[in-house]
Parts: sequence; C-alpha cells; structure tokens
Amino acid sequence: MLSYALLVHAAPYSTQGSLSALRFAEAVVARGHAVKTVFFYRDGVHNASTLMAPPQDEVHLGERWRRLHATSQTELLVCVAAGLRRGLVNQAEAKRHDLAMHSVEPPFELTGLGQLVDAMLTHDRLITFAP
Amino acid sequence: MTLHLINRTPDNRGLFDDVVEAISEGDYLLLIEDGCYAGLAQTRAPLGSLPRGSVGVLKEDAESRGLLGRLDERLELVDMDGFVTLTERFPKSLSWF
Amino acid sequence: MTDSHHLATCNDALLIVLRHPPHGSSWLREGIDVALVTAAFGREVELLFQGDGVFALLENQTTGALGQKGTHPQLMMLEMYDIERLWVSRTALTERGLTTDDLMLPVSVLDSDEIAALHAAHASSLIF
Repeated sequence: MLSYALLVHAAPYSTQGSLSALRFAEAVVARGHAVKTVFFYRDGVHNASTLMAPPQDEVHLGERWRRLHATSQTELLVCVAAGLRRGLVNQAEAKRHDLAMHSVEPPFELTGLGQLVDAMLTHDRLITFAP
Repeated sequence: MTLHLINRTPDNRGLFDDVVEAISEGDYLLLIEDGCYAGLAQTRAPLGSLPRGSVGVLKEDAESRGLLGRLDERLELVDMDGFVTLTERFPKSLSWF
Repeated sequence: MTDSHHLATCNDALLIVLRHPPHGSSWLREGIDVALVTAAFGREVELLFQGDGVFALLENQTTGALGQKGTHPQLMMLEMYDIERLWVSRTALTERGLTTDDLMLPVSVLDSDEIAALHAAHASSLIF
C-alpha cells in the first residue's frame, strides 16, 4: 500500500483539474492505497468554500471532498496565505481579521505551506492537479 | 524515472517543447484533460521523437472529447485505474500546464 | 559554468521549476513562496527557470506602477535561505534574445540534455 498526497491548484468548476483530482483520489483508494493528504493551493483553495452551491444536476465538488474525508480519513488542507487572499477563511481567522463571516469549515483545515513540505517528505507519492 | 502529466492542448507549443526537453529515457508521458488533443493522429505536438509505449492518453478524457478512433495508433489508452497504476510504477510525477 | 558532476548524482533537494513570467499571474510568487518555506524547513532547494520563467530574472523590474509587490525582492532573498543553485534553460534564453548579462542573479545555463539529466537526478520536483 502506498500513501498519496495530492496538490490541487485548480479552482472548482473553472477547469477540469479539481474533478480530475477527485476521480484520481477515488481510484487510488479503490486500488487499496491511501490518500492521506490533499493540499489546496492557489485557486485550488476555492474547493474549500462552504458557500458552494452548484446546480443540482452537477457534481457537488465540496460534498465529494467531504465524502473522501469521511470514507478515507483524508486530511483536506488549505494554504492559509492563499486562502486569506481569496476570501477563504475559517471561524478563527475571520475573528482574527475582524471579518463578519467565514467561508471554510471542517473537515477543511487552514494550514501553512509547511504542511505541504511535510506531506512531500512523509508520503510515497505527490501528484499535482493543475488548472 | 518520471511520469509526466500534461493537461494543455498542443497550441501551447512552448509548454510541449519544455516537456520534451525534460523527458529522459524510461519516462512516461500521460496526456490528460485538454492534453488529449495532442494524441490526435495529426497534431502540432512534437511527440514524434518519443518511443512507442512511452506515451498514453487518459481514456475517459479522450472519450468525452470525441477523440476515440482519431488518436495516433502508437499511443496507449489508459483509464483512471491505469493512471493510478502508472503512479505505482513511477515514484515521481511532474504536472505540466 | 555547468556543474555536470552535480547533475549526474542523485539528489535529495527539491527542484522547483518556474515557467511563468512575473506580474501577470501569481504563479511565480506562489512558486517562490514554496521554495522559501521548504528551505526554511531545512530542506535543500534548487530552482530551474524554464520557458517564460526566465523573465523572472530580468534586470530593472519595478513594483511601483502596478501596485504589486513583484517577485524580484523575493528572488533577492534566495541567498539568505541558502538557495544558491539557480539553473536556466539555454533554449529559453536564446528564444527570447536574452543572455546571462540580462539577468539579476548569477545562474548556471543548461542545454536540453542537461535539463533532462537535472530532472532525472531529483527525486522530487514541483512545477509553477
């Protein structure tokens, strides 16, 4: 069994990358491996938005990520610097920056780039999904 | 040995040149998403120099684009399960975009 | 200037490939951020400037007009983080009518076959 980390740069719905990453993650799990970490960077941070509301006949990417977390214990890490710039904040960061609302909730976690470095060192594979 | 992934159409000529420049013997190139268009029998993509058996096209992405039956016959068709298998074989992957 | 002995050996450093020009997008900035953080965590980092990424090194860039920070101040910090191996594609320079004299930092220029060797020698790489 191999442990995988995925790095997602792709914004949801704008390009195919997020969906490719999800389908790849599901295929990795189906082959008996573990997707330990998904790290969202750049426009990929939008995948973590709690406020995503796609039409009902389209894939709900946020829900698919949450399902991956629920079934595979995959950690869903969002780069805090990239997220803050783009309005992706959890309750704690909203408070710290005096913002009226937050847009990220567990299981998505805001973390530093150090977690990406850590994931690269810890896991057997790192696959990047670009926009 | 490296698995190279490319998700752009061959209109991005410089990108394809850079990928080809980076590929070593024993590497594998998988065309995904819009990269599948580089798998057409007639293409601007400079993939002719790569050995047979070292270039594949992601089947689901090619199929959804209506490309099955139009692809260069030297290319391998790889489904999502096969994509994972490639990452088992190649410890390192590089995504070009 | 090429350190071909270094190219041939297997290498634990993270190779970060920069392929995008400055200002127009944040690819370069967020790629260099990863380089600096990785180095801060004590891991060796090398940079390869390929394609339009060579424009990152072009001299006389400014920040004022655009109200953006730019990436050249970040590049000036590389040495402080012990990121000293900067590789540049000869093809990328030639195609853009540039030479190393046009660049703000000392770099090693690589021919095509050396770029393949550089990639092959690194166990992990990221492209930005």
